[in-house]
Amino acid sequence: MEQPIISIKGLTYRYRGQKRNAIEHVSLDVMPGEFVAIMGASEAGKSTLAACINGLVPHFFRGKFSGEVRVCGKDTRTSRVAEMAEVAGMVFQDFEAQLFSTNVELEVAFGLENFNVPRDEIARRVDEALRFVGLENLKRRSPATLSGGQKQKLAIASVLAMYPKVLVMDEPTTDLDPISKAGVFEIANHLRQRDDLTLLVVEHETEEVLEAQKILLLDEGKPIRYAPAHEVLRDVDLLEQHGVMPLGVTKYFHRMGGNSDTPLTINDGIQRFREEQWQLSDSVYQSLQQQDRTRELRYGAPLIRCENLQFAYPNGTQALKGIDLEIRRGEMVAIVGQNGSGKTTLVKHFNGLLMPTGGQIWVDGRTTREQGVFELGHKVGYVFQNPDHQIFSNTVYDEVAFTLRLRKVDEKTIRQAVTEALEAVGLAGYENADPFSLTKSGRQRVAVASVLAAKPEILILDEPTTGLDYNEQRSMMNLVRRLNENGSTIIFVTHHMWVVAEYAHRVYVMKDGQIYLQGTAREVFSHDQELVDAYLRPPMHVTFANRLGKTLLTVDELIACTETTSRE
Amino acid sequence: MDSEIYLDRDTFFHRLDPRTKIIILLVTFVIVLYYQNPLWILPISALVVVQGILADSLINLRRIRYIMLVLAVSGLIIWNLFAGGQTRLFWIFTVESLAYSLGRVLIMLTLITAGMIFMSTTRNEEFVIGMIRLGLPYRVGFAISTALRLVPTIVGSVFIIAQAQRSRGLDLDSGNLLERIRKYLPLLVPVFVSTIRNTNIFGMALEAKGFGAREQRTFYLDIKMQRADYWMLGLMLVMFVITTYLKIRGFGDIPGLIRF
Repeated sequence: MEQPIISIKGLTYRYRGQKRNAIEHVSLDVMPGEFVAIMGASEAGKSTLAACINGLVPHFFRGKFSGEVRVCGKDTRTSRVAEMAEVAGMVFQDFEAQLFSTNVELEVAFGLENFNVPRDEIARRVDEALRFVGLENLKRRSPATLSGGQKQKLAIASVLAMYPKVLVMDEPTTDLDPISKAGVFEIANHLRQRDDLTLLVVEHETEEVLEAQKILLLDEGKPIRYAPAHEVLRDVDLLEQHGVMPLGVTKYFHRMGGNSDTPLTINDGIQRFREEQWQLSDSVYQSLQQQDRTRELRYGAPLIRCENLQFAYPNGTQALKGIDLEIRRGEMVAIVGQNGSGKTTLVKHFNGLLMPTGGQIWVDGRTTREQGVFELGHKVGYVFQNPDHQIFSNTVYDEVAFTLRLRKVDEKTIRQAVTEALEAVGLAGYENADPFSLTKSGRQRVAVASVLAAKPEILILDEPTTGLDYNEQRSMMNLVRRLNENGSTIIFVTHHMWVVAEYAHRVYVMKDGQIYLQGTAREVFSHDQELVDAYLRPPMHVTFANRLGKTLLTVDELIACTETTSRE
Repeated sequence: MDSEIYLDRDTFFHRLDPRTKIIILLVTFVIVLYYQNPLWILPISALVVVQGILADSLINLRRIRYIMLVLAVSGLIIWNLFAGGQTRLFWIFTVESLAYSLGRVLIMLTLITAGMIFMSTTRNEEFVIGMIRLGLPYRVGFAISTALRLVPTIVGSVFIIAQAQRSRGLDLDSGNLLERIRKYLPLLVPVFVSTIRNTNIFGMALEAKGFGAREQRTFYLDIKMQRADYWMLGLMLVMFVITTYLKIRGFGDIPGLIRF
């Protein structure tokens, strides 16, 4: 009988200084050539488990380790990480920090150099690995100049060149736009077909793991389910219960009273829909469109207006090439586009962090140049992508009070504003907590609260859901929606297309520094093909509905629109 | 943001062996420090500028032009405190001390320029392998290159963090010195946190790629001394000998200068 290539027995690990085990009693066998996805909510222990495979746990981190992990027969406890590297390669989520060379070729060569591979052989393998990921024409480029997707492909190539038996990828696509994501997963699928390589991927998006053979679902460190992927993906309730977003189409059929054989792909879904002789109701669809229109009537005066807005960085890169847009009071606008399409550069004009090098931008009737970043700060709040780029205080209270204290507001008013802001983000009672002790989602909330406390009319959020799990994403966006309903104008930048579909009123799609598509969410998502051209991809259930002739933005809309009794 | 200093050009100096470039840098550093008289330093500075033009690298000086300006202006004043002479001008200035200051500033700017040219023409990896071939242990070389590599990363995160705090109302440009120093706290903490975090991932990525797995290690980047390198080294030797000879003979001082 074939031996498992990864064999984990009774693995429990606790980081030093933590109260609970990061992983607990995990036992697992992976056969050579298998593709296993590790899924689960934040803090489920996914990354810890991944780090156990190549020995980073227990060698790199400090903590308490019990149980046994064997990879290719090597006990990770007695082998150094550098030795494990020969059999188990690892790709990390952060594509900036894991690249350390000044050109692509040397980056791929690095691992091989460490193993004293002869120079000719290195050259051959570098070419082979770069060809495999499609970067063969960029050999001389500096990794810093590559796009996010290319960087991640380079990271994969640099590991593949070492001919590992096991490849572990820890959320390799979290920071990427949808098409770059798909590109990385395409590579993973090619790899899957090679039977000499075992693939272990940590991921929290179900659409990316359709090709996996098995899924391990973790929650708070405990294994919940380890079964063939299609079984786990069909168990919609189980996934939702453990903080993983189920596949849109699968969820739809499940909620429509599906049996054990619910479709997992769009094609299967369409076929099933036809077999069942269901219809999408015209009248319900029209009332949805009517709702979109009434919402639009409620908007107030224009708050942000751009005319032929241009921006060039000092090194000459033209990041914005003539943007025209108008955002009105009370809107909730999403700005989407590929990595490097100019989204963040655009929104940094809204609060005056960047000033246009051409064209004009008005906020609340006056140009941003007249007002400057500090005056604009009273009207426009900006939540940066990474909360760790702004948090510095010892307590949550001080952090949230920061802006108001700078403005010399009296302490009583501050206390009230902070309390309100913390209540709004669901952190009431955490005033004295150390912000660094909170989870990523908690820190994100502190960052939002610290901006809210200053009571801006316009709130800009750069990637508010990146790095959060499904439930956290949902509660973050529900929070943002409540703020919008209470009168704030919201502008958010994101890669999560389901968030756009479900929460945005209007959408601007950017491509190469220009606005490529704009309109209500429903209008924009009806342009499936144009979105793909802009390196975006609508969520599965939206494409599914589009194929059936109507643009429905959420699974709930889809269900509301479905007529099960076919008309005679 | 563009934070890399190396310029991917194909000039004579880019093509030189890193060992040659290191020696050029070292010799420049030594001989420019020989003389006090700015008139004697000037030819060396001029040669460095010529090197910069040939290496198409002077553009990088634009990044630090303000720092260089501040250093030059403050240097022109401050060095007068450390020297004096017979010919009084006013306040702390004498003709001799002013000439001395001018020389010191010229030395400083030349050192900066020479260093910048070196970094603009030499890849991190070339620098490391050059030093290893000159006898440095690999780990030490790697540590140096990692430190160099971290600089642009830190600069990049300082930039983002400054923007994040500015949009929260932090005005770094107002207030007296003490207030300003206190204002840097909201910058420093996140910079430290993100740097430590990055370094941590960097460490993991290094281990995961088998850093230090074997006693022996291949160097994929092959460096070879070419004819141009020997010519360059010859030239540097001649310059070194001449300047040293002149120095020993006592040339290049400022007559009447008293150093405190």
